[in-house]
Amino acid sequence: MNISRRGFLKASGISLAAFASGLGFDVAAAQAKGYALKIEGCTKIPSVCHFCSGGCALLLHVKDGKCIHLEGDPDCPINEGALCPKAAGLAQVAHSPERPKTPKYRAPGSDQWTEISWEEAIERIAKKTKEVRDKTFKRTEERTNAAGVKETVAVNRTDGIAIMGGAEIDNEESYLLAKMGRLLGTTFHENQTRICHGSTVAALAPSFGRGAMTNSYQDMQNAESFLIGGSNCAEAHPVSMKWINRARAKGAKVIVVDPRFTRTASQADIFAQIRPGTDVAYLGAIINYIIENKQYDEYYVTNLTNALLKVSKDFKFEDGLFSGYNADKKKYDFKSWSYQLDAENKPVKAASLDDPDCVFQKVKAHYSRYTLDIAEKISGIPAAKIKEIAETLCAKRPCTVVYALGMTQHSTGVQGIRSYAVMQLLLGNIGKAGGAINALRGEPNVQGSTDMANLIDNLPGYIPQPTSSESTLLEFCTKYGTAQQRPIVAQLKAWFGENATAENDYCYDFLPKNNPANMPTYSQMFPKMGEQFKIAFNIGTDVLISQPDCTVVGEGLDRLEMLVNADIFENETALFWKRPGVNPKDIQTEVFMLPAAFVYEKAGTMANSGRYVQWKEAALKPPNQAKPDLDIIDLIFKKVRELYAGSTDPKDAPILKANWNYDDGHEASALKVLQELSGYDLTTGQLIPTIRDYLKAPIGTVSTGCWIYTGCVGKGNLCARRDNSDPSGLALFRNWSFAWPGNIRVLYNRASCDALGQPLDPKRKLIWWDAAAGVWTGNDGADVVDLNKGPDTPEGQLAFRMNPEGVGRLFTANYTSGMPVDGKPGIPTRMASQCKDGPLTEMYEPTESPTDNILHPKVSKSPCAPVNSTKIGSPKDYPYVLTTYGVVEHFCSGTITRNMPWLNEIMPEPFAEISKNLGKKLGIKEGDKVEVSSARGKLVVTALVTDRIQTLKINGVDTETIGMPWSWGFASLSPGPSTNVVTMNSQDPTSGTTEYKCCLVNVRRV
Amino acid sequence: MTKKMVFIDTSLCTGCKGCSVACKAWNDLPAEKTQLITSYQTQKDFTPNTWTYVSFTQKYENGKMNWLMFKSQCFHCTEPACMKACPVGAISQTESGYVLINQDKCIGCGYCAANCPWSVPKTDETKNKTFKCTGCVDRVENGLLPACVHTCQPGALQFGEREEMLQKAKARLAEVKKANPKANLYGENIMGGTTYVYLLLDEPEVYGLPANPTTPSSLTLWKDIVQPYCGWLIPLAAAGAVGSFFSTRLINVMNSKSKGGNTHGH
Repeated sequence: MNISRRGFLKASGISLAAFASGLGFDVAAAQAKGYALKIEGCTKIPSVCHFCSGGCALLLHVKDGKCIHLEGDPDCPINEGALCPKAAGLAQVAHSPERPKTPKYRAPGSDQWTEISWEEAIERIAKKTKEVRDKTFKRTEERTNAAGVKETVAVNRTDGIAIMGGAEIDNEESYLLAKMGRLLGTTFHENQTRICHGSTVAALAPSFGRGAMTNSYQDMQNAESFLIGGSNCAEAHPVSMKWINRARAKGAKVIVVDPRFTRTASQADIFAQIRPGTDVAYLGAIINYIIENKQYDEYYVTNLTNALLKVSKDFKFEDGLFSGYNADKKKYDFKSWSYQLDAENKPVKAASLDDPDCVFQKVKAHYSRYTLDIAEKISGIPAAKIKEIAETLCAKRPCTVVYALGMTQHSTGVQGIRSYAVMQLLLGNIGKAGGAINALRGEPNVQGSTDMANLIDNLPGYIPQPTSSESTLLEFCTKYGTAQQRPIVAQLKAWFGENATAENDYCYDFLPKNNPANMPTYSQMFPKMGEQFKIAFNIGTDVLISQPDCTVVGEGLDRLEMLVNADIFENETALFWKRPGVNPKDIQTEVFMLPAAFVYEKAGTMANSGRYVQWKEAALKPPNQAKPDLDIIDLIFKKVRELYAGSTDPKDAPILKANWNYDDGHEASALKVLQELSGYDLTTGQLIPTIRDYLKAPIGTVSTGCWIYTGCVGKGNLCARRDNSDPSGLALFRNWSFAWPGNIRVLYNRASCDALGQPLDPKRKLIWWDAAAGVWTGNDGADVVDLNKGPDTPEGQLAFRMNPEGVGRLFTANYTSGMPVDGKPGIPTRMASQCKDGPLTEMYEPTESPTDNILHPKVSKSPCAPVNSTKIGSPKDYPYVLTTYGVVEHFCSGTITRNMPWLNEIMPEPFAEISKNLGKKLGIKEGDKVEVSSARGKLVVTALVTDRIQTLKINGVDTETIGMPWSWGFASLSPGPSTNVVTMNSQDPTSGTTEYKCCLVNVRRV
Repeated sequence: MTKKMVFIDTSLCTGCKGCSVACKAWNDLPAEKTQLITSYQTQKDFTPNTWTYVSFTQKYENGKMNWLMFKSQCFHCTEPACMKACPVGAISQTESGYVLINQDKCIGCGYCAANCPWSVPKTDETKNKTFKCTGCVDRVENGLLPACVHTCQPGALQFGEREEMLQKAKARLAEVKKANPKANLYGENIMGGTTYVYLLLDEPEVYGLPANPTTPSSLTLWKDIVQPYCGWLIPLAAAGAVGSFFSTRLINVMNSKSKGGNTHGH
């Protein structure tokens, strides 16, 4: 054959699709037509993947409104065109026959859907919303003030409306959902982040000042070593392997610690199998090793952490408990976890790290109990291997820690992640290119939904959600510090515009106030359905599958008066009244199924794990009658407001006086919402150019819907930028989209410089002080207090400016900076975030554990963790440890992926992985059906009997681990049993994240 | 077009199966009903609608797990037995190295598969056509990467000029051998040198691959000696007009192949 490429390129025009499909590849025809591509004549439209938090860019090839082909966008610097199997198959969602065609309604007791119009659906939902609001609105509530006196304060809260979801929709949608909820008076809004990476925010914020992943996916190329513990990133975040492999090609070492030998482990230089839930033990041993062998970065520890600060003499740790424990409440009083303070309320600094009162000595003493031997007995990792890991981490800096739900989903999730923070601060690895704690967030916009506060205890931008204890703006500032005044006022201005004035506390009264005694986190909402919640909005979540010990979820939904469900496909939650074991006749809940547009069918942004806020235009029209969630939320709110029109009842003022005008012709405009998030200068009516302009403006003269996003569309839509150049070679890509805050790509990057503001590592120069120009400059945006305050000023030395101490916190002390003046807040004051179960980390056994805690058997388990499951199993009845996870072929509950035939082909069913020892003992062979049961439920799946899980020796006893994915349910093209019927609902005490990662089960062949 | 090569570095493959889905997406191939076979493998062989798939082999030795992932597709041999075997001349080879089945000419006899050392081509019995990986020749000829290579996240698949890729493969082999002494290149010299060349972490047999795949000697005998002198046999057999020894033998060969033969990864 003699074929020249030039000839092919000349000829074109006729699509190959005809013979590429069905009849396969016709060589003669292809050659005759010059190998014309099936994508000839298509318009290429970029979008963003809707699975993990990678933010990989898609490229849709569209012709006549149809998606002819979808593949990775080679111009995107995150994925460079590559896509995992889920994303590679995403063309199957666009024209799927499984997509619902119209809104649907299910009447009480009915066993079927009725198709209805959008108008009717919105009308009925809005009427019910108003009815529930009117019935359950609380104008005031009694509280006990600081002096112990009971008093009545305004709370303006609606108790009957629950909202679920946010991580699967765009930022603009997630924000409007949060805003709609607060305007209706409900704070009872939770989303996937609670059960996913809640522990990340709760651990990283008290350590570094912000709760986000410190670096980006691409930055992994800069690491010298990786500790991948609690992440199966090759499966759950496949794009990370691209960047990890870049680092490996330069000699980086990969350590994987996991309960199973995973697909990620197949790439490891060092693999250690760990018993689920014992990370604090082996990390404690590594911390101990670093200190004992003086491997800590002395400059960093002394200058950039709180190591030198003196801790209160009242602080103690004895027999598994920190000082201040109240056994009745299962809570700590944090007072003794304070610093010794000087007359100016500043922590007293020790002269050296040897001072017995200083944080460093507390850390040293605390972790000295974690010997390699003890760690082996608890975790099952051989002592020699822990030592090898420690030696590697000390030798190969900077190290990037990679983790995900393997760390977060424990009753000790925050403690585990905090152990990483302590370790990385000691090694001097934070704030540097390649030095990171990369918390790989789970969902496409779970970073955004956390930023937008689809959570009961936040307002957008991590502003604390006020409770009845802070019923006025002054009380709010007194409690949280005046540092929170600027953002909350800017937000109130965004929400209430000219109605918000200094005289009326900027309409602070309009914000609903939580009752501190009734703040249910996600998994605690379901038991309250019926009694408290009458209507629930479920936006892009499948709670019936995704919640732990999920039997209570269906029972809760049964008691609702109305469930409003918006999703791409009819998932199990939408169909809960048809679930196995119930009779629809017995269920009186009215249900709406609203067909939602998929990610590439709507414009908007999503924030990836590296805080990249990436804009995409709609590439396709939503199929059938599907609408973007933005329109759905907009329509519902506007209809509710219409129903309240003319009301003079003060309770309705937040709805009637709110800024809510996103119409762009006939639909809501995502750009208008993003502009509200980004903020306006109210003196000029112009968009605020940058976050620094926002910070300089007098309070009350600017508005921002979410202050950390300030400036993202300030000078044009920066989120839509597509310049993938990387002049520094450090994979910063600062002209690709926008990263919050202020387009900084590596957080805390002041720590990459020495005391004089010059880069410590010539190969990894992020920022530096330009003395001649008097400005911080560099390859990245400088994460400093003030760009013009140099190293010769106190501010110019602070690497962790969001912490009140300005340094990284090895010990999460109870501390608020600033001076109280006559009981009123001084200026400035900032409150440190707090870990509720201890200022240092401690190993506690999981809620269901096969063994006792050898460090302190009397306090074996977390002394603070709430246990919501009512049935707890013992090792006698349930001798094996179950850990649950996802697989690369499916995503979370599988709502989308189980409706994609290509993915069902490559992973058709759930399974249970067991060791060969256990298989032998129980007579189970690969492929056998096994029943896995816990105290809470049981299911039958196929067994995989494998050497990838080994029997561990724990406290001298053989201990078996069982692994199961959880992405199946009774609906979809590929139904299967749900693993979450057996899992444990206990919570991390700080984050509320639930313990999916370990519980006790039994197994038998069926 | 010059000779191309895809370098499959199995040491970097994480078995995500992105390649398998990308192949189906580009070629508009429907999904098939599967079940778990072993490990995370669900596709056990090529089919008329599955042109690439990943097999998983677990090898646990001395307390160390080796989880070997292997992406299968047509090797696109320089000396393709299938092309030699095709009784109707439906199989051809491009300058760049791709071996392609012309569906207009294909009669679905399966003789190509019977003679392929890896049993790659698969016949759709209802269409009487045989299918296999095209190497995404249409993409490649238009300056795009093959769909599987384009989608590979960990960078286990690389495409380029053959000589350049071979250099890379050899350099990588030297590196990988330090920790995996049994690592080897598979494809460089077999079947005249294949377009898809693998870096394997273990002996080919561990992956279920023939160590020395060759064109069956019977085929050589037939094509190089008998056929030139008895060319009239071909159209005769192809038309299926005669229930001769030829067809019977062909069916037998196909049956034995589908029961195991030299296929791999099961």
